[in-house]
Amino acid sequence: MTQGQIEITDIHWLMDILQNIDVGLVVLDRDYRIHLWNGFMESHSGISPQKAKDQILFSLFDEIPEAWFRQKAEPVFQLRTRTFTIWEQRPFLFRFYNSRPITGQSELMFQNTTIIPLESLDRTVNHICLIVYDVTDTAISRGEVSKANESLSAVTSKDSLTGLLNRDSWLPTLDHAIAEHRNHQQSSALLVVDLDHFRDVNRVLGHVRSDEILKRIATALSTLAQENCTARIGGELFALLLKNTESEQAIATAERLRRGIAGLTKSAGTDISASVGVAMSHDALTDAQDWLNCADKALYHAKESGKNKTTLYQYKTQE
Amino acid sequence: MTSVPAILTEDQRDCYQEITNVAMGQAADSLARLLGAYVVLPIPRVSIIECSELNMALHEAGSDDSVSAVCQGFIGAGIAGEALLLFNDTSFASLASLMKYAGPLNHQAELELLMDTASVLIGACVQGLGDQLEIHFNQSHPVVLGQHCQTDDILRSGNQAWQRTLAIEIHYTIEHMNIDCELLLLFTEESVKTLNKKIDFLLD
Repeated sequence: MTQGQIEITDIHWLMDILQNIDVGLVVLDRDYRIHLWNGFMESHSGISPQKAKDQILFSLFDEIPEAWFRQKAEPVFQLRTRTFTIWEQRPFLFRFYNSRPITGQSELMFQNTTIIPLESLDRTVNHICLIVYDVTDTAISRGEVSKANESLSAVTSKDSLTGLLNRDSWLPTLDHAIAEHRNHQQSSALLVVDLDHFRDVNRVLGHVRSDEILKRIATALSTLAQENCTARIGGELFALLLKNTESEQAIATAERLRRGIAGLTKSAGTDISASVGVAMSHDALTDAQDWLNCADKALYHAKESGKNKTTLYQYKTQE
Repeated sequence: MTSVPAILTEDQRDCYQEITNVAMGQAADSLARLLGAYVVLPIPRVSIIECSELNMALHEAGSDDSVSAVCQGFIGAGIAGEALLLFNDTSFASLASLMKYAGPLNHQAELELLMDTASVLIGACVQGLGDQLEIHFNQSHPVVLGQHCQTDDILRSGNQAWQRTLAIEIHYTIEHMNIDCELLLLFTEESVKTLNKKIDFLLD
């Protein structure tokens, strides 16, 4: 008698706990009719347990794809094994709206669910329990981390002043162009552009205005080449890759660029000019660095022969 | 943390092997029923591994191909661990056809296949072990460790603070199908002592 009373109190407690726990609990039978619907489910769906009882899950919630859910639930009936769904698969099972106006960061609740088999007294499984967890915070913070990582990689791959790529993140583009040349005979041109006597410009204009000049040159470069093909590879040293370009075209572009830079003299109030070294893609090139060395040699030649010039690198003809 | 001289006697190892054989058989049976295909019964490998060997163990499983992996924790009666399921990415096409998965085999579809298979395999195996040891294991939610990544990247996020622990490796293949996956059960260092006691009890 006493024991019976204790059991009833126990069940009373258990029911209280089920009702108040901050996790959704739904018991379903083989026809997916609802047998238990706890407080969490009631609060978030606005559907009372009385109304939910004996309703078919899919008719009450048309956002749950029936075939998909059956695929997760059938093994629970048949194999008596637990199955799980995670928010990465499907952000939510039930469309529950954000219930926290201050700290809530998402419009909808992200959910993980577990489906467990419920054994009857005769050890058959005729019911399953669907447990719904609110994982919005986890999902949001994961999203924030990947967003943060994206901006971090953008920061580390780009030059902060001009927004062009930096040397390391740009070099793979060259390797790619070398491979294109080798495999598809697609000819590309590499231009390295160095501002002449930039130290003097710096002294006359000051750092702030000199930086402005660098930014304007960067903008001009970006208009000439495809995205991710321009880079600032040194203080006043820029590079750009012109894909699918023959040497005449490359020299014309280099000259246009050189004249454009020289044209900045007027607005800057001091002599501004640049020298350009051009090297075409070639079978003899081993890697990006090799190609860059060739363009550097051409640039050196342009500087040596009086600056404000464009020079094309001449490959040695093999006998 | 207590230092655990995680060393198994010959008898203990045999006993683990036996228990795993049964659990793995149950899991294979569940998988076979899910897929409607014959699952080749492998021989599980029970061993004490060093933390540094974990990567190596995964490498043997994943070879150099790209892999996808799911991890799921289990805990019960003072015994805890994680189950890691590693799929060779070339398996997905065959899995999709076995599971009659309609639609294009994209990233999302592969995630579904990965999760469905992991639920069944890990669930059945952990439950099988639990039944024999008379432990009810609770399972945490699965975590996707990566899709289409190299084996090296799989473990990058964890801080593996343990030194030596019990590992059970099971390599599942499906007959006449290009499906290849590795299930690794790794217990916490603290669990090994409790587990060994249970095993000794069974041996007596």
